[in-house]
Amino acid sequence: MSKIIVMTSGKGGVGKTTSSAAFATGLALRGFKTVVIDFDVGLRNLDLVMGCERRVVFDFINVINGEAKLNQALIKDKRIENLYILPTSQTRDKDALTREGVEKVLNELSKDFDYILCDSPAGIERGALMSLYFADHAIIVTNPEVSSVRDSDRILGVLNSRSRRAEQGLEPVTQQLLLTRYDPERVEKGEMLKVDDVLEILAIPLLGVIPESQAVLRASNVGMPVILDEVSNAGLAYSDAVGRFLGEDIEHRFVTPQKKGLFSRLLRRSA
Amino acid sequence: MSIFNFFRAAPRASAVQAKERLQIVMAHERAGRSGPDYLPMLQQELLAVIAKYVNIDENKVEVKLDRGGDCSTLEVNIELPAREQAKAAATAKPGDKPAGNDDAAAKRPAGGAVGNAGAKKRI
Ligand SMILES: Nc1ncnc2c1ncn2[C@@H]1O[C@H](COP(=O)(O)OP(=O)(O)O)[C@@H](O)[C@H]1O
Ligand SMILES: [Mg+2]
Repeated sequence: MSKIIVMTSGKGGVGKTTSSAAFATGLALRGFKTVVIDFDVGLRNLDLVMGCERRVVFDFINVINGEAKLNQALIKDKRIENLYILPTSQTRDKDALTREGVEKVLNELSKDFDYILCDSPAGIERGALMSLYFADHAIIVTNPEVSSVRDSDRILGVLNSRSRRAEQGLEPVTQQLLLTRYDPERVEKGEMLKVDDVLEILAIPLLGVIPESQAVLRASNVGMPVILDEVSNAGLAYSDAVGRFLGEDIEHRFVTPQKKGLFSRLLRRSA
Repeated sequence: MSIFNFFRAAPRASAVQAKERLQIVMAHERAGRSGPDYLPMLQQELLAVIAKYVNIDENKVEVKLDRGGDCSTLEVNIELPAREQAKAAATAKPGDKPAGNDDAAAKRPAGGAVGNAGAKKRI
């Protein structure tokens, strides 16, 4: 039986897809057979971030509709053993995501994979609801910014009331916070919410803090999950977060401004 | 002082304000999640009661809510007609600006000042 994880946030553009790609890759790197599914029907992007956009033939919706077999739609990552991507459709809309259809696909994947990671679309409509409905665990992706924090709280409410676990009165979906695009320098200036502020407001455990980093754009430019950029702060922070997710005790890095000598500045620029 | 200076005046405060605002609004949202949104119903019922005694114009009812940390205030403003006559006059002439609907009137492209401003921009 696999564990189903949803990467969710309510708000768009906070880093769900970036984090899904990084996390799935990190889990696979540690030897877990992992599949990452794009639930953003109509706005397919995970394939680009994962660098497999040219290999998409069939997609998640084709499988739901019985137009293709699951193994025809699954794309095996070329770089990393154990990592698979299930892309979504660009032409259909979110109504194609029926609960029965999604359940069928997840059940089939369950037989084969250790982790199923669902990359949620923004909002709290069908796409987002379907991506979280079957989850065992939720990673709440939040930016240190008022609307993102508020939307995250909304999503926590939805997880606690409208997920399968909530509806069937099972153990609740476990929840962890992934605070992304964190800028310690702005935090120090008092211009950005602190980690502790967000934790106090959302009251869920902290999985990781991903710093604002130019490496993220560079990585998506070339279709490489940023966790593979082992010299970037963001890559290292994702790696730590995956370790924590698996139960390792890892201290948080990149939460205070780095001392910037001329030398390290130059290094950072080239990193 | 320009608006930019205003924002720069107290840089330390903005994150603190963000936190305080979030704490207040979210405390209310969490509490309200369980029950249905009662405000529309409350408004309707209040109006029904008042309408039993006075003739009121539905457009002149204002419901305001201010969610505070310790207490919230609900303000219901209902404009009562001074005389029945006044109300009749306001609704009788369709050519006149309907009172209480100034926004819609100002947006109308035709006529006086608004139309001129639009023309100037185009030149
Ligand atoms: N840690 C980060 N530092 C800098 N940019 C980031 C970071 N995380 C995400 N981004 C950028 O934010 C944008 C939105 O990210 P994405 O993962 O697509 O968000 P979502 O899936 O939540 O809509 C992208 O342009 C991405 O490159
Ligand atoms: Mg996305």
